[in-house]
Amino acid sequence: MTQRRKLTRWLIVLVFLHGVVAAAGFFAPYDPVEQDRERPYLPPMRIHLIDAYGHFHLRPFFYPLRLRKGSFDQYEEDTASAVPLRFFTRGADYRLLRLVPSRLHLFGATVAARVYLLGSDAYGRDQLSRILYGGQVSLLAGLLGAGVTLLLGALIGMAAGYYGGWRDDLLMRAAELFLALPWLYLLFALRAFLPLTVSPLEAFLLVVVVTGMVGWARPARLVRGVVLSVKELDFVRAARGFGASDLYLLRSHILPETANVLLTQAAILVPQFVLAEMTLSFLGLGVPEPMSSWGNLLASLQQYSVLVSYWWMYLPALAIVPFFLGYLGLASALQQRSSAYKIDGESGWSPT
Amino acid sequence: MRPLLRVENLVKHYAAGRPSPPKNKFPALDGVSLSIRARTTLALVGESGSGKSTLARCIACLEHPSSGSIWFEGVDVAGLHENQQRLLRPQIQLVFQDPASSLNPRWTALEIVSEPFFVQGRFSKQERSDKACAWLDHVGISRKMVSRRADELSGGQKQRLAIARALALEPKLIVLDEALSALDYSVQAQISNLLLELQSSLGLTYLFITHDFAMAAHLADEIAVMDHGRIVESGPAERILRSPGHHATRSLLAATPRVPETPTILVNF
Amino acid sequence: MRYFLRRALHAVFLLFGVSLLTFLFSALTPGNYFDEMRLNPQISKATVAALRAQYQLDRPLPVRYLHWLNAVAHGELGFSFAYNSPVGPILWVRARNTLLLTITAMLLAWLLALPLGVWSASRLGRAPDRILSGTTATLLVIPELVLALGLLILAVRTHWFPTGGLVSVGFESVSPLQKLQDLASHMVLPVTALVLGTLPMLVRHVRASVAEALQAPFLRAAVGHGIPRRKLLYGYALRAAANPLISLFGFSVGTLLSGSLLVEVVMSWPGVGPLLVEAILARDLFVVIGGVLLSMIFLVGGNLLADALLYWADPRIRTAASAK
Repeated sequence: MTQRRKLTRWLIVLVFLHGVVAAAGFFAPYDPVEQDRERPYLPPMRIHLIDAYGHFHLRPFFYPLRLRKGSFDQYEEDTASAVPLRFFTRGADYRLLRLVPSRLHLFGATVAARVYLLGSDAYGRDQLSRILYGGQVSLLAGLLGAGVTLLLGALIGMAAGYYGGWRDDLLMRAAELFLALPWLYLLFALRAFLPLTVSPLEAFLLVVVVTGMVGWARPARLVRGVVLSVKELDFVRAARGFGASDLYLLRSHILPETANVLLTQAAILVPQFVLAEMTLSFLGLGVPEPMSSWGNLLASLQQYSVLVSYWWMYLPALAIVPFFLGYLGLASALQQRSSAYKIDGESGWSPT
Repeated sequence: MRPLLRVENLVKHYAAGRPSPPKNKFPALDGVSLSIRARTTLALVGESGSGKSTLARCIACLEHPSSGSIWFEGVDVAGLHENQQRLLRPQIQLVFQDPASSLNPRWTALEIVSEPFFVQGRFSKQERSDKACAWLDHVGISRKMVSRRADELSGGQKQRLAIARALALEPKLIVLDEALSALDYSVQAQISNLLLELQSSLGLTYLFITHDFAMAAHLADEIAVMDHGRIVESGPAERILRSPGHHATRSLLAATPRVPETPTILVNF
Repeated sequence: MRYFLRRALHAVFLLFGVSLLTFLFSALTPGNYFDEMRLNPQISKATVAALRAQYQLDRPLPVRYLHWLNAVAHGELGFSFAYNSPVGPILWVRARNTLLLTITAMLLAWLLALPLGVWSASRLGRAPDRILSGTTATLLVIPELVLALGLLILAVRTHWFPTGGLVSVGFESVSPLQKLQDLASHMVLPVTALVLGTLPMLVRHVRASVAEALQAPFLRAAVGHGIPRRKLLYGYALRAAANPLISLFGFSVGTLLSGSLLVEVVMSWPGVGPLLVEAILARDLFVVIGGVLLSMIFLVGGNLLADALLYWADPRIRTAASAK
């Protein structure tokens, strides 16, 4: 019973996290590409309830930042003009899930004074909004990449396990090869030999396909194991006794048994693939500007000046941590449920 | 009259490296010959490892023998191509020993018995369901149980389910591979009576494989004894039981807990 | 002995497979590559033509592969266009830097993981174990990229450690001791990042294996014989738990070259990682192939080492192998 509860708990966490990112338009106060050249590298603004005179206000407010006198990169709060936060306010247009147009945002300020909860970047773009929208790209890349890998792995694993013989040997040797390769290197090498300058959409698809093609070996081996054991079961023999075709057996009896393995692998792979996208984009090999992803949001950190002075540019890196936590928890709950696996066995985290 | 099934000199070697029974010294089937007349029951008795299951699978066309022939209604099924075999399959059905692995535990009783129809692609959904329910009724599984998953049923109910599934395509020959061995004694009695009843009402032919002479005595018209991949003795049931010839037969007889002089009829619960 | 030969053969097969794969990748878009090269003003047309001829791009694929294999066998890994020199020397220098980092980190990680894991396993379920498990779980959830960047920012703001490079300016002119100090201070950050990245998983594995070994009956018999606790834990339990750990060790050795790519890039450590990334961005084909191949050799070698160690350490494997 507690297994199921643990599972549901992690699922709820993950659904919530993904929901926030999916509804980025609602939670983000601004459009991620909207620039404000007058306010580059603004530090995160603080939200106050008590003003400079000691009065308590029910509605939270903030002070816009202005340049300190005599400095050109130091900001201070302009305590003269407090700007209240408005909730459920109308803001920039966006489309929820690319379908439903809306203008409703969770919070916002006025047109004149923008609230930068997590600071701004070199072009004055709101980091919070960029992180939320960037999450859509990174998470989607991770989910799709994992999907591709699992699809490939399942097909290959089923073919190898079901047909056996030389096909099995060949496919498993290939799997061994792919498993032996350091996946990060393979990823890079694969990416290297494909055109470098592509449109954002093409780059995104490229990332998905490349990451998908790298990781199929472990799921394939696991699926093959399941197929091998199910294939010998009598109810499969019985179905063959009615004249069932191979395809029928695979689809109706064998595939459902692999669901467990595939789910566990999914929980393990998705965060790894999100990380892969982040790494690629961070190094300039993934999703390019102006599309934001968690990876390319971190790319500016490669400049020393940014590293020293603008610490809030690091925050996108932390965005992935709750997701990792959620997926890791889900994976361990799934593994415990199908206790055929040991924690440090085949399906564990891969170090590299 | 031509026998329904005639097996001639069946030989089966297992290829090296196969996981299932490692027979390293001798082949699984070493020249097996037997015949069964229609509407009768032949009991095949032997120890574990004597090759019974292999024979069952070969007869049911689930495995290819290395050499020899299997004549079913005058056609050599062993030599047939896969597609032709598929046409013949409905005629010979197999009931396995362990219902836990012979029935997909996640499927409901209705789905399991409907599967043969679905695979053969013959009837509409409603027809399949009706026919399946009819067979389930025939074997004594009530309407209430029909939508239960297989793993929620008792051992006896599961075997009834397996029998219903085997009957679905109206076969002529049913091979029962230790079908009663995993059940409690009382349940064994019920199911064996069910089998007898079905045989007389549907005109079925049984190949009943077992290691238990008592069961064989209850059901069989003829008995064949198998040892190390060969048939060592065969003949009418009564003769074998009264005066066993081969030493294998005698040791098997000695091992059974009780051998009734006359077949006992046990009461249905 | 035959066991080794089989495994060695297996390793060679793997290497061939990988070399083929890498070569195939490179051959997938050759025209593309050389077109981009032609656009590069730094490379003269004559060079491009000469290279095309040299690498025999007009010959069929199998011939090119054999030609390339032959070159590699002679230690000639190709020509780097960015550095305008053969790939070999560049790679060795970078590899040396990487190994300096990773070997230090690996030794440190293992030296910490073993006692921590054993200690944790011996107090299974109690407070110290739970605290340690919580810490490792937390660390596991933080990906290496995040960790490395975070450490970097910390260093930059506190100025405790230098934030990039192998050595400081003016390295040549100071005393050996100062040289060592300088090198060490540059190494602190990347090594910390690497150790923090690998330690949690190691500790968990050690803990799991030792905990399992502690359940064994022979261990309880040893307790009954009055063997002191430390000897029990290290002499008996750890040795029984050794098998999976030895495989893990071999795997660690295998990732010596490739596991630090991210950390090196982030911390600007002049190792194979940054070289590879630069080469990819600069389309420096042979550097990429050389780098991938070298790290593959390490990986395969690491696995082979693990097999060898297992064979030597566990008599059961020896008897099983000789029985075959």
